[in-house]
Amino acid sequence: MSNLNAPNSPFVPFSPNPSIQSGVPTATPPLSASKPAQLGSSNLRYASSRKSIYDRHLNRTQRSELSKASFAFLFGEMIQYAQKQVSGIQDLEKKLNIQGYAIGQRLLELLLYREGRSAKRETRVLGILQFIAQTLYRHLFGKPADGLEKSREHEDEYMLIDHDPVVNSHISVPKEMSQLNCAAFVAGIIEAVLDGSLFPCRVTAHSVFSEQFPSKTVFLIKFEESVLEREAVLQ
Amino acid sequence: MSSTKAARIGEEVWKTRIDKVNAELVTLTYGSIVAQLCKDFEGDYMEVNKQLDKMGYNIGLRLIEDFLAKTNTGRCANFRETAETISKIGFKVFLNITPTVTNWTSDNKQFSLIFDENPLADFVELPDDGRAQNELWYSNILCGVLRGALEMVQMQVDAHFASDVLRGNDTTEMRVTLIRMIDDELPPGDD
Amino acid sequence: MVILSILILNKAGGLIYQRDFNEGLNKLSSNDYLVLAGTFHGVHAITSRISPVPGSGGLEVLESDQFRVQCFQTLTGTKFLIFAEPHQPNIDVICRRVYELYADYVMKNPFYQIEMPIRCEQFDRQLVAYIKPKQ
Repeated sequence: MSNLNAPNSPFVPFSPNPSIQSGVPTATPPLSASKPAQLGSSNLRYASSRKSIYDRHLNRTQRSELSKASFAFLFGEMIQYAQKQVSGIQDLEKKLNIQGYAIGQRLLELLLYREGRSAKRETRVLGILQFIAQTLYRHLFGKPADGLEKSREHEDEYMLIDHDPVVNSHISVPKEMSQLNCAAFVAGIIEAVLDGSLFPCRVTAHSVFSEQFPSKTVFLIKFEESVLEREAVLQ
Repeated sequence: MSSTKAARIGEEVWKTRIDKVNAELVTLTYGSIVAQLCKDFEGDYMEVNKQLDKMGYNIGLRLIEDFLAKTNTGRCANFRETAETISKIGFKVFLNITPTVTNWTSDNKQFSLIFDENPLADFVELPDDGRAQNELWYSNILCGVLRGALEMVQMQVDAHFASDVLRGNDTTEMRVTLIRMIDDELPPGDD
Repeated sequence: MVILSILILNKAGGLIYQRDFNEGLNKLSSNDYLVLAGTFHGVHAITSRISPVPGSGGLEVLESDQFRVQCFQTLTGTKFLIFAEPHQPNIDVICRRVYELYADYVMKNPFYQIEMPIRCEQFDRQLVAYIKPKQ
């Protein structure tokens, strides 16, 4: 078995490690010895009704709904909080990306679990992108993505198109920050799903003005070399 | 306004006038916010509580306009009516829950909200580091929201959690106290 | 139904939004609009106090033979002024809808600072899209 961390290895350690996003994958630190390894030795208290989160069915809230306003206000605060910590549009987008990343990691596991027996492990670029454009998008936003394109100039670039991202629907970016696209949050979700499915990449959100769709956003997905190599082998 | 009337209004507004999204998007987004705060404050959960309250306050200042615009609610006659409005209409149209109003003090200035369900905390388990369960109020943002929203309609309140199932308690209970009514002040003179 | 213009005032009576929807209106300077807003705010406060009926709200409608202005004040103190042609029915409906748009595209915009002038592109767009078809 090849060394998992060898350079040019097609495998990237899957870890909740934002350092991966800086382009330098580092190994997941081993679990520290002080962490309780078995479930029985947890020190957490549970309500006396004995109902913990492990008793609830994972699919219970699958179709539950909350108000879009709740999301808008929470997302707005997330943006304001991030804005106080950084001093540039790129850094702000990076912060939003990281917060979306954490969500994407969880969502991937959840969605695959829910597919049950028919869950398929995607090994081809088109397959995983379709999963994102259809399954993931439908689950989060109630509609599929509006388009999927492959770049003509760059082999390693793909574009996911959303005519009107739900996350941006209440936001008007001030003119002096017109470069900012808060859907960087969604870019983070997409990036985490791709990384977690072993398609390492970088995803960024770009506003593309169009008369018909003033809020149109294009997610630019740039895959790492290893993905293209594998794709060529599987061809 | 009676409790049943408030419940009916809440239900109707929720059904007909509220745009909805997948609940898990909201739950996961809130989780990401709390996790980020815990990371930024390096496990100082008291700071995290404060920050959540502050964020909630900022939200409350804005949320009240959305609430008034969508529900057309008029001024409440007294604090008891306010409590029913918050529980049956407010929480209903934003989080689709109706926490129970109870434990009134005899002066009618303090009550509790008991949450049977809390969508913000679905599938959440606090870190097993020996401190989180004693220090962190996971849903503290809700206290700030109430404080900010009510301040905009001239009520100064204090809201804090007294118990939380995430901490191993049997119930999740928020205590709300009316500190004072904020009187209308004359507009500042021209300068 | 002809809407002439819309003004929004914050709690302190400061003008935070002004937009004309009709070509033939007199254009005031931005300072004039600020004075107009502040004056209205003061008049509104006075009318609520001099009203012979106790517990009265402030000025709601002002009608002349040239125009009608309706003031909708929210429980939070924000005022929406709708200027329309005289004898227009259903301004209430318009007030409510403008309030909703304000809640959706101004309040929910994290880049909008409370009590400050409104510069939210989506709010403009949605407002124009709502009012223009009615003209």
